[in-house]
Amino acid sequence: MRGHLIYFAAMTNLHINGEPRQAPEANRNLLSYLRFDLGLTGTKYGCGEGLCGSCTVLVDGQALRSCLATVGSVGGGAITTIEGLAEGEVLHPVQQAFVAESAMQCGYCIPGFIMSAVALLGRVPNPDVGQVREALSEHMCRCGAYPRIERAVLRAGGASNE
Amino acid sequence: MSDAAFEGLIIRGGSALGLPLPSTGYARQAYGNVTPDFGPARWLSINADGAVTVYAGKVEYGQGIRWGLAMATAEELGLDPATVRVVLGDTAETPWDIGTFGSQSTRFTGVQVRRAAATAREALDLAVTMLDLPTQDLACESGRVSSKSDPGRSLNFAALLAGLYVVCDITDDVTLNPPGEFTVLGTTTNRLDALERVTGRAVYSQDVTRSGMVYARVLRPPTYAATLVRANDSIAKQMPGVAMVVVDDDLVAVLAETDQQADAAFNLLTAEWSERGDHPSHWELPALLAEGARDPVVTQEAGDIEAALARAAHRLEATYYVPYISVVPMEPRAAVAEWVGDSLTVWAGTQRPFGTRGELAQACGVDESQVRVIAPEIGGGFGGKSIYRPAIEAARLARLARRPVRVAYTRAEEMTYTTFRPAALITIRSGFDGDGRITAWDYHAIHTTTDRPMIGQRGSETPYASDHVRAVVSAGPAPLRPGSYRSLGCAVNHFGREVHIDEIASRLGIDPVELRLRNLADPRYRRVLEVAAEQFGWRTATAPSGQGVGVEIGLDVGSYAAECVAIDVQGKEIIVNRVSSAVDCGLIYNPEGVRAQMEGAISMGLGSALFEATEFEGGRLLNASFARYRVPRINQAPPSKSRSSAATRIHRPVQASRGLSLSLRQ
Repeated sequence: MRGHLIYFAAMTNLHINGEPRQAPEANRNLLSYLRFDLGLTGTKYGCGEGLCGSCTVLVDGQALRSCLATVGSVGGGAITTIEGLAEGEVLHPVQQAFVAESAMQCGYCIPGFIMSAVALLGRVPNPDVGQVREALSEHMCRCGAYPRIERAVLRAGGASNE
Repeated sequence: MSDAAFEGLIIRGGSALGLPLPSTGYARQAYGNVTPDFGPARWLSINADGAVTVYAGKVEYGQGIRWGLAMATAEELGLDPATVRVVLGDTAETPWDIGTFGSQSTRFTGVQVRRAAATAREALDLAVTMLDLPTQDLACESGRVSSKSDPGRSLNFAALLAGLYVVCDITDDVTLNPPGEFTVLGTTTNRLDALERVTGRAVYSQDVTRSGMVYARVLRPPTYAATLVRANDSIAKQMPGVAMVVVDDDLVAVLAETDQQADAAFNLLTAEWSERGDHPSHWELPALLAEGARDPVVTQEAGDIEAALARAAHRLEATYYVPYISVVPMEPRAAVAEWVGDSLTVWAGTQRPFGTRGELAQACGVDESQVRVIAPEIGGGFGGKSIYRPAIEAARLARLARRPVRVAYTRAEEMTYTTFRPAALITIRSGFDGDGRITAWDYHAIHTTTDRPMIGQRGSETPYASDHVRAVVSAGPAPLRPGSYRSLGCAVNHFGREVHIDEIASRLGIDPVELRLRNLADPRYRRVLEVAAEQFGWRTATAPSGQGVGVEIGLDVGSYAAECVAIDVQGKEIIVNRVSSAVDCGLIYNPEGVRAQMEGAISMGLGSALFEATEFEGGRLLNASFARYRVPRINQAPPSKSRSSAATRIHRPVQASRGLSLSLRQ
C-alpha cells in the first residue's frame, strides 16, 4: 500500500491507460483528476469513503479505490481505468461477459465491478462462486444486478457456469 | 431541427399519458405543478438515410426502457432493435411526459411508440406507387419495403423517402402487430445500451461538464428545519480558486474552479443557524404515528365489520411498524446549469424532466419555453429522483455567477436532503373460522405523510375475500420527507397484510400457501402463488431446524407477483438461500427486462426486509453514510442459478386475456 500523504511541488509522472501523463499537483484527488482533469468519467463517485467500489481503478493490476487516493500516492504506477480496458473496438473478456449477461441496470456501479473483476481474474484465473462473491462484496449495486454480475464474472473466468 | 431542411418521415401524436389528469388523479395529487401539454409532438422520424429514431419523454434509470422501446419500434417496422435510436428525457426533443414512475413506460408509452411505428409502416405504403404493387402484397422488414410474392422487388427506407418530407399523425385505428405474430417483442435479446455501460462511455449527470463551468458546494443546515441567521464567508472567499461565494436568501454556496478548491473553501464557510429543538427521533416514531393520525380515507369497505368481528370464531389483532428507509441510488444527484441570455439549459438526472422544467421556470421567474431540461443516463432512481433540488440550486447559482455551474451531491447530502420511503404503523383486526376462511378484515394504516396523502393508499385493499372488510389509511406526522420508492406505500401495506395472514396460519396450524389459496378469488393472484410455490417446492420447515420458508403475494400497477423464500438462521443473521418468484405483468415486451427487474426487486426487498432502516435523532440523520447504512451486497444475494439450469418458465395466466406471466428462480 502506498502512502497517501505525499506532498511535494514537483510534477507527478503517471501512466494512465498506457499514456504518460504529468499531474501538476501531488495532492490532487485521484478520482477528481481522472474525471475532471482528464475527462475519464467512466470512473464514478459513489460515496467518497471507499465503501461502495464505484471509483475502482487498477494500479499495476491491483484494484484501488481512487476516491481515497491522491495522484502523488500512485506516482510511477500504471493506472488502468474502464476506458483503457478494451483494445480498440475489441472489448476485454470481462466487458464482453457483462454484455452477454446484460449484467447491469442503471450501470453506474458497473465500471467499478468490472475493474475489480479484472483484478480478481488476474490473481485467480478461474474463480469459483465463493471467490467471486467475496471479491465483489466490497462493491454496491443498488439496482440488484448481482445474479447477472456473478454469472458474468464466472463466464469471463471460463467457469462451467453451473 | 429545421423542418425545411429535413427530408424523411415524421410521425406525430399526443402525449401517452397513462395516468388520469387533471384534478383528482394520482399524478396530479403527486405532482401538482405539472402543466400537461397534450399537443401533437414528434414520436418517430425516419431520416433520408433510412435511420429510425423514436422519441419519448421517459428517462432511463436502469429499468431498460431504451431497450424495450427500441424493441417495440423494431417490432412494428420489422427492424433489428439495435438499429433503432431512442431519444429520451429531453424537453426540447421529446413529447411532453408526466414523469417516469408508476410502471407506465411499457404499458402506456410503449403502446404509443408501437402506434407511431405502425403508422410509419403504413405511411411507407407510398411504396405502392413506386413499386407498382398492391398494398396487401407489401412487407416491411429489415429497413426495406418489399413484395411478399417477389422479394426481389424492394426499396429501402432511404430510397422511399428521398426528396420527400412527410408528416403523419398517429391514427386511432392504426393496426398493431398482434401478440401471436410478434417477431421481436417477447424474444430474448441482450441489453441494447450495454456497450456504453461497460466501456464507461455512458454519460450520467455526475459526468456532465461545460466549458467555463464552476464547481459549487452548497451550505446545508446542521439539522432539519434549521434556518439561516447569517453566513460568514470572509475566509472562504479568499481561498485559492474561489470564483464567488453566493449568499442569496436561503442559498449559500461556494463556487470554485475545481471541485477540490470548492471543497477546501466550503470547509471554511461558517454560518449561524436558528435550530428547532423539537425534532423527533426515530425511536419515537411509532408512538408519534399512533397519536398523530389524521385525515382518514376509506379505501375499501363492505358489510358490517364490527358485527362480523364480534361473531367470528377466532380473532386476531396485531400492529406492525415499518421504519423509514433510504432510497440510496448509486449516483448521488447532480445538475449542471447554463444560461445563454434568458435561456436556461439544465442537465439533471431527474425522473420528471418536464416537471423539473416547470419548477425551474417558477424558481427563476422565466417562461417554461425558455428552459430546457436534459436528463442524461440516471444512476438509479427508484422513484426518489422525482424530486430534484440540485437542478434549481444550479440554475440559481449559474444566473448569479454568469457561468455554467455544477452542483453535485455528496453521498451524505444524497442520503440526507432528499426523500425517504415512508414509515408506517399498521393495525389489523381480523376474524376467521377454523378452516382459515377470513370472515372480517379491519385494516388501518398510518403512513408518514406531508403534501401527498395518496402515498399510503396504494395497495391498502385486501385481495382476500371476505364479506366484511374495511381498509382505512390515515396521514401521520413525517419528521423526514417521505417520497417515492419502488411502489410507494404499496410494499409497506402488503408487508403488514401478509405478515398478518401468516399469523393467522400459524394460529390455526394451516399451511400459509394453503391458507392464502382458501381466501383468494382472483385467478391471476392464485396462479402466481401456485407457480411460485410449485417451482420452489414449497414445504414448511419445522423448529428447531434453524431453517425457514416464507411466502408473500402482491399486486401493484397491474402486476401480480408471488415470492417464496428459504432462509437459514445463524445466530442473529438471516441467510437467504433461495427465492422463487412468479410475476404476471400482462403482455411482456421484453422478457429479459422483466427478469432483470424482478431480480433487482428481490435484492432491494431483502434489504428492507432484513436490515434497512433510516435512523435520526435531534434533527440529524445518524446513518447518512455507507459506513452506517447497510444495503444488500453480492454475498448477501441468494446464490444465482445459471441461465440454463434455472427453472425459468413462461406461463399463460389462467384468465388474463392478453398476457404472459413469467416466473424465475434465483
